Amino acid sequence: MSTPLWLCIPFAGLLFCIAVLPLVKGEWWEAHQPLVVAGWSVLFILPFGFLFGAGAALETVLECLVNDYLTFIVLLFGLFCVAGNITMEGDLAGSPRVNIILLTIGTLLSSWIGTTGASMLMVRPVIKMNAWRRNRSHILVFFIFLVSNIGGCLTPIGDPPLLMGFSRGVPFFWSLHLFPIMLFNMAVLLTIFYFIDRKRYCRDMARGRKPDISKPGTKIQIRGLHNLIFLVMIVSAVVLSGILPDQPIFQDAEGHVRGIHIFGEVVLSFPAVIEIAVILLAAFLSFKTTDPVIRKKNHFTWGAIQEVGILFIGIFITMQPALAILKGMGADLGITEPYQMFWTTGMLSSFLDNTPTYLVFLTTSGAIGYADGLVTTLGMVPVKILTAISCGAVFMGANTYIGNAPNFMVKVIADENGIHMPSFFRYIGWSLMVLIPVFLLDTLLFFR
Amino acid sequence: MANEEKNLRELAGRIYDLDEEVYRELGSSLGRVFNGKREDCIEETVRMMHERNQAHILRNELALISNMARTITEHESRHRIMVKYDEILKEVTELPTSFIKVDILDQRMAQLNALNLQSRFGEKDHLIICIGRTYGCGGSEIGFTLADTLKINYYDVEIFDEVLKRLEAEKTSVRDKGGYPYKKGAADNRQHVDEISAFAPAPKSTLKEKFREFNRYHGLPKKDAVFFNQSDLLCDMAKKEDFVVMGRCADAILTNNRIPHISIFITAPLEQRVHRVMEVRGVENEKKAQRLLTKLDKAHIKYYKYYTGRNWGKARNYDLCINSASYGIQGSVELIMRMISRE
Repeated sequence: MSTPLWLCIPFAGLLFCIAVLPLVKGEWWEAHQPLVVAGWSVLFILPFGFLFGAGAALETVLECLVNDYLTFIVLLFGLFCVAGNITMEGDLAGSPRVNIILLTIGTLLSSWIGTTGASMLMVRPVIKMNAWRRNRSHILVFFIFLVSNIGGCLTPIGDPPLLMGFSRGVPFFWSLHLFPIMLFNMAVLLTIFYFIDRKRYCRDMARGRKPDISKPGTKIQIRGLHNLIFLVMIVSAVVLSGILPDQPIFQDAEGHVRGIHIFGEVVLSFPAVIEIAVILLAAFLSFKTTDPVIRKKNHFTWGAIQEVGILFIGIFITMQPALAILKGMGADLGITEPYQMFWTTGMLSSFLDNTPTYLVFLTTSGAIGYADGLVTTLGMVPVKILTAISCGAVFMGANTYIGNAPNFMVKVIADENGIHMPSFFRYIGWSLMVLIPVFLLDTLLFFR
Repeated sequence: MANEEKNLRELAGRIYDLDEEVYRELGSSLGRVFNGKREDCIEETVRMMHERNQAHILRNELALISNMARTITEHESRHRIMVKYDEILKEVTELPTSFIKVDILDQRMAQLNALNLQSRFGEKDHLIICIGRTYGCGGSEIGFTLADTLKINYYDVEIFDEVLKRLEAEKTSVRDKGGYPYKKGAADNRQHVDEISAFAPAPKSTLKEKFREFNRYHGLPKKDAVFFNQSDLLCDMAKKEDFVVMGRCADAILTNNRIPHISIFITAPLEQRVHRVMEVRGVENEKKAQRLLTKLDKAHIKYYKYYTGRNWGKARNYDLCINSASYGIQGSVELIMRMISRE
């Protein structure tokens, strides 16, 4: 029996709550998020259990919690903790030029320490340097576009979908082929950003705002730098999670990845256990070895990770029917052209988890039976198609706050530090005005 | 109306204090909701409420502060702050939803109008006269004579020189974009003649020099760093002495910092300015002089707009606009003197 479309209603309902409740019932929403998430999750689990049986429902929920959510949230938690223990102090003043430099560094860093890692590492310096300004929410919007999403397209470390591709036979450094596309997107977005930021910077100056530059010369001090070791530890754990499942020692006689049996066919694989253990150890060591004053200076709170943890557990559970339908329909969609792959993968990645979305379209392409292309464990996939799927999954995660986990983290951290971030819909407005035209250009130049 | 204004200010002040308390409790060095001086922030909040005619602006600011307040770990402090927050929130929700006024009178502008000059300056305030002028209209001479008559200091390029000292920068590497072509060391400060144009492009620098400048100016463009320092310097000076200051967006800077001042704009018809430039600068070609004036006017319009968001020379931005061709230098000085009643 196929999954009925109406089972997607709880997912739509949860998204609606995330988008609307902060606007109409802000304080109530803050206090009752877990209740809302639990409510919509139950509204999915009960009918699903009624249709497919309690065992299937339990298995589906455990599968997504153990195999998707657990590693996702642990990685986020680890990077959040480690990055929160590094602080930058100094009197560099946030201006269009400085912001362009920061966004460029962040974007280039994303592929090497992950979009989440780069976002967590860079968001506080960006907030701090622009503290003197009033109009600064747009800086964080472009930060999400570039650092939290587009920058992560060059390596499997950058974004989880690419790691999934790597574990399916796509060579580790293949994604470097996306560099010209990333560079183009970066150049266009940074140009747009420059003009917007310059206008708002002038508005701030006209209103008499000024940074404290009374002392000649810039002094920048970075504290907690030893945490970079723990950052490398986390990145290594992520890479290992992509490599270890293919090693014979982690496979049983049938070629399945060994692990701890949870329920039904749900298994927490040993590579995932290793990844989780290493990340948690890194987070623990980071906390133990860092002066608490640094966290205080960083305004480190658990609010951001708590909010993301709660909301995303609901998103992960309630989006299962949508993913199941997508998996079932993937081959029937008749999508064969690169531009179709780019937009379909992208639009779905804007709202669903981009990793399974990427996998569905990679599997679909591998099954088509192309005569030439890149050899993966899923079949032959033409380079243009793989490029389109990769770019769609990575780039278009920036379209909404829920398109990629760091998006929401950045929003919450900014909200906690005196920045009026756009609402869910206003953020989509930014995407429609800025990102979609850039993606249309991408289509014309790279995916025709 | 006055009561309503007072209440708004008082409320905005309490919100500012709450933000400060939250920030102190958190010990964070990141962004605050109100990240300027107390008076500035109150002024800005009240102004925004009037400009946008929306009461919910205060509520938005408050919501951001509560976001931060909720992250305070110590229970007692959080409780104390949240009680204050609730009290303020209650008052904010009771505010009228609109501040629309039938009268066209803008209280803020009215306080600054020429008829209120005597009440504009309190006992502790200094007399500051900001003069904006087009090149070649005799504005510098008028400013200098005015300062001389009033026995107060006259500042023009001196401010720029002082800023360079603060920034530890070399004069050759930075252009005085807030002033006019000027020859350092000329016998008379009013003698604005120079072979180097103030608005000429800055000399090209090497990569090493660029890095050094990036560090020296805190990552800001040179001209912005100079402007910010000029702003600080002008505000400091305004606390200490009476003076006449030429250009440098001083009127906008002092307005933004709520420092009482008189703003004057002096210009003259282009033909008169051309003749004067030809005479003073020794330019023989009329077209050349005209081109120079057009170029300088354009550069000044751009400069003033960039830093103040206002249109340079628009009458609405000044207390008094003078056509120096109608009054001459001495006549203009007398006119200003009559206005400020210091004869």
